[in-house]
Amino acid sequence: MKKKYLFESTSFLRSILLLSLFVILLIGGFTYKHIANLKDSTEVVVKTYKVNVELEHIISYLRDAESGYRNYIATKDTLYLRPYLNASEKVNSSFLKLKGLVKENSEQLENLKVLNILTDSLFSNFYKSNVFVKNDETNTEAFRSLYFKEKIIIDSIRRQSKTMFDLENKLLNVRQEDYQSDSQFTPLFFYSVLLVTLIFIIIAYNKISIDLKHIKVKNDQLLIFKEATNQSEIIGKHGNWIWHIESNMFAYSDNLYRLLGEEPQSFEATFDNFLKFVHPEDVEKFSKDLDKMITVEELPITNYRIIQRNGSIKYLKTYAKSFYSDNGQKRLIGNTSDVSYEIENILKLEEHNLKLERNNKELSAFNYAASHDLQEPLRKIQTFISRLEEKEGNKFSDSGRQYLDRIKSAATRMRLLIDDLLQFSRTNKPDKEFISSDLNTLFENAKQDMAEIILEKKAQITIDTLPKVTVIEFQIQQLFSNLLSNSLKYSQEETVPIIKINYSKVKADEEPDLIKATKSLYHKITFTDNGIGFDQKYTDQIFQLFSRLHNKKEYSGTGVGLSICKKIVDNHQGFIFAKGEINIGATFTIYLPVS
Amino acid sequence: MTPEESIALNDSLNDYGIEIVESQKGILVQKIKDVIIDMVFNEETNVNVKSSVYLSEKLGHSYGYLSNLFSEITYSSIENFIIIQKIEYSKQLLLNTDLNLTEIAFRLNYSSVAHLSTQFKNTTGITPSAFQRIIFKRRKIAQQKTN
Amino acid sequence: MHTDYIHIILADDDEDDILFFTDAFDELKINTKVNTFKDGEELMNYLNTDKAVMPEVLFLDLNMPKKTGLECLSEIKANDKMSGIAIAIYSTSASEEDIEKTFVLGANIYIKKPADFKNLKKVLSEVVSINWQYHTNSLNKDNFLLRV
Repeated sequence: MKKKYLFESTSFLRSILLLSLFVILLIGGFTYKHIANLKDSTEVVVKTYKVNVELEHIISYLRDAESGYRNYIATKDTLYLRPYLNASEKVNSSFLKLKGLVKENSEQLENLKVLNILTDSLFSNFYKSNVFVKNDETNTEAFRSLYFKEKIIIDSIRRQSKTMFDLENKLLNVRQEDYQSDSQFTPLFFYSVLLVTLIFIIIAYNKISIDLKHIKVKNDQLLIFKEATNQSEIIGKHGNWIWHIESNMFAYSDNLYRLLGEEPQSFEATFDNFLKFVHPEDVEKFSKDLDKMITVEELPITNYRIIQRNGSIKYLKTYAKSFYSDNGQKRLIGNTSDVSYEIENILKLEEHNLKLERNNKELSAFNYAASHDLQEPLRKIQTFISRLEEKEGNKFSDSGRQYLDRIKSAATRMRLLIDDLLQFSRTNKPDKEFISSDLNTLFENAKQDMAEIILEKKAQITIDTLPKVTVIEFQIQQLFSNLLSNSLKYSQEETVPIIKINYSKVKADEEPDLIKATKSLYHKITFTDNGIGFDQKYTDQIFQLFSRLHNKKEYSGTGVGLSICKKIVDNHQGFIFAKGEINIGATFTIYLPVS
Repeated sequence: MTPEESIALNDSLNDYGIEIVESQKGILVQKIKDVIIDMVFNEETNVNVKSSVYLSEKLGHSYGYLSNLFSEITYSSIENFIIIQKIEYSKQLLLNTDLNLTEIAFRLNYSSVAHLSTQFKNTTGITPSAFQRIIFKRRKIAQQKTN
Repeated sequence: MHTDYIHIILADDDEDDILFFTDAFDELKINTKVNTFKDGEELMNYLNTDKAVMPEVLFLDLNMPKKTGLECLSEIKANDKMSGIAIAIYSTSASEEDIEKTFVLGANIYIKKPADFKNLKKVLSEVVSINWQYHTNSLNKDNFLLRV
C-alpha cells in the first residue's frame, strides 16, 4: 500500500514537471511569435510610409516639372525646362523604389503599373508639346489639345497616386488593428499561463511537502524499528547479515559482531573474516552449507560452533534466504543466532536423563536381583520344610506342628510376594519387542493360563472380537491374565462369575477419561465382572504397588497384580481405569493407542 | 514295527532297566500301542466309537484287562498314551499344515478348541500357539545357519 | 554294552539343589545313575572326553559360574555327538520370555525348581517318563517341548 502510494506520488510529480516544462515552452513559443509579429507590423508600417513618401515624391516631381514647363512656355527660357528634365530621372528612381516596396501586394503592383503608364504618357506629351513650343506654334489647335491632354494626365496621376495612397493607408490601418489586438491579448495570455503554472507549482509543492512528511514519519518508524531490532538482537542473541552475491559484499549487524565476541563493526565484514571464528571441526560443513546457499535459494538451517577470541566456544545457528533487489541483484539475507544456552541445556538435560535412566536401570536391576535371588533361599527353606514335614513330621509335638504350619504359610506368602514382585520388575525391563499381534490369540492364551480356575468356578466369559495391535505380546497376555485372575479371585461367593470383555475403537476427544491422551484413536477394551466390586473412592489406589483393599485372610493377593497391569498399559502408552460398586462388580477399561 | 526298531526298542527298554521278555504281555502292549497310533494318526478309523470299545473289539480282550496290562508294563495308562499320541498328532498338524487349532480340534474329535488347548497345555506345559511359535523360530534360525 | 539304569546328568553349582535332586531320584522307583557337575565348564569338559557316556537327560541350571547353562546349551546343540541329548533346563525362576528363548535355542524341557520335595519327585518322574515315551514310541524328538 505504502509503496503504491509513493509510486503514485512520484508519477504525479513527474507529470507536474512535464506539464510545467510544456507550459514554459508554450510561453516561449508564444513570446517569440508575438515579438516576430510586432517586428512584422513595424516593418509594414514603415513600408507604408515609405510608399506614401515615394508617391508624394513622384507627385511633387511631376508638379515641379509641370510648373517649370508652364514657365518655359510663357518665357521660352530653357532654364525653366531643368525640373522637367530632372523629373523623368527622379520619377524613374522612385518607381524602382516603389516597385521594391509593393512587390508583395499585387493590387498595388497593378496600380503602380497604371501610374507608370500615366507618367510615361505625360512625359511623351511633354515631349510632343515641346516641339510646338520650339517652333513657336503655341497658338495652334494641336498644341492646345496636347496641353489639355497634359492637364488630364496629371489629374489622372493625382487620382491614381491618391488611390494607391488610400490603399496603403487602409492596409496600414488593418495592420495597426491587428497589432493592437495582438498586444492587447498577449499580457492577458501570459498572465493566465503564469497563473496556471503557479497553481501547478503550488500543488507540486504541496504534494512534495506531504510526501516529505510521510517520508519523515516512515523514517522515524524505520529508526524505531532499527532500534527495536537492535534491542531484540541483543536480547534474543541473534544477528543478521546481508551478502550481495554479485559484488561479494557483506554487511553484518552490530549484534553479529557481539555474537562473535567483537566490538560492533570492528572489522571488515567478509566471508573469510567470519570463517576465522568458525570452529575448525565445523569449517568444512559450514563452507559446504554456504556453497549450497548460492545454488539453492533457501539455506537449510545450519548449526556450527565458533571460537571467540577469548577462547569460549559458542553454538550458532544460521538460516538464510535469497532476496532479489528491484534491479534484480541477488542477495542473501541471513539470520544467525547464538543457541549455546539451549544446546547446553539440552546437553544438561540429556545428561540428567542418562543419570535418571541409569538410576532407573539400577533400581529395576536391584528389584529384579532382589526378588530373583531371594527366590532361591526361600525355595530351599520351603523344600527343607517339606522334607522335615515328611520325614520328621510325626516326631513333633502339637505346638511344634503348629509352628511348622505357620512357617510354611509364611513362606508360601513370601513366595507369592516375591513372584509378583519379580513379575512387576520384569515389566519394567526395557528393550521389549513390539510386534503386530492378534489380541484374540493373546486373550485365548491368557484364558488357557486360567483354565483350571475358570472350570472350577464355572465362570462365563464372553468376548467381542479384538483387533490386531502392535504390542509386547507377553505383557498383553499377562495383562489379560491378571485382569481375568482379578475378576475370578474377587468373585462373589455362590454366584457364577460372569466376565464380559467388550471392544470398540474410539476417538480420544470423545472419551471423557482420555484428557491426557497423546494420540487421536484408541482401542478401548473393557473387562466387566459381577464380583464383589470395590468402593469407587479407591479407584486410584487400586493400581498402587502393594495396595490391597481386602484382608489377606479373605482373599489371597499381594497387591501387585493390578500394578503390573498399570505398568504394562503405561509401557504401551495407554491408559487403564477402574470403576467399582460394592457387591455389583468392577469394570476395568484399557485404552491402547491405535498404531 | 521294523526289526531294527524292535531292536532299538529293546535296547532302550533295557536301558531303562525294564526286563523285556518276548512274552505275550509285551506283544499285546505293542499291539495296543499300534492300534492307538493307527486310530489317532489314521483319521479314517477315527470313527465315533469310544476308544475303549474300539480297543477291546480290535484286540479281543476286555478293556479292563488291556488297561491293567498296559499300566503294568509301561508305568502309564492307556488314556495317557492316547492323549500323548493325540497331542503329538496335533503338533504335526500345527507345524506342517495350514489348519488352525479349531480345525485340528475337529479332526481329532475334541468337543471344543478349548478342550484341545487345555489338554495340550496340561500335557506339554505350553499353549499350542507358543509351541508353534517356538518351533517356527527354531526353523528360522536353522535356515539362517544353512544359508 | 548294556546298562540297567537311566543315565542322568545334573549341572548345578548349588549343593543343596544337588542334594534334593539326588535324594529325589533315590526315592523314586526308577533305576537311575545321576552324575553331577559343579559348573558348566566341568560338564562340558566331561562331555567332550572320548569315554563320556551321553546321558538320556541332561539337567542344566542356568546360573552357573564359569559357563552358564545357556552357553552349555548352545555348545551341545552345535555338537553332532551331543545334539541328541534331551536337555532339561533346571532353574529357580524364569519369565515366559526366558522360557521361550531357551526352547528356541534347543532346550526340550523347562523345569522351574519346585519349592516342595514331593513336587520335585513328581516333576522329575514326569520328565523321565515323558522322555521315555519319546524314546520308545518313535515320536518326533524335534517336537519334544515340555514345561513343568
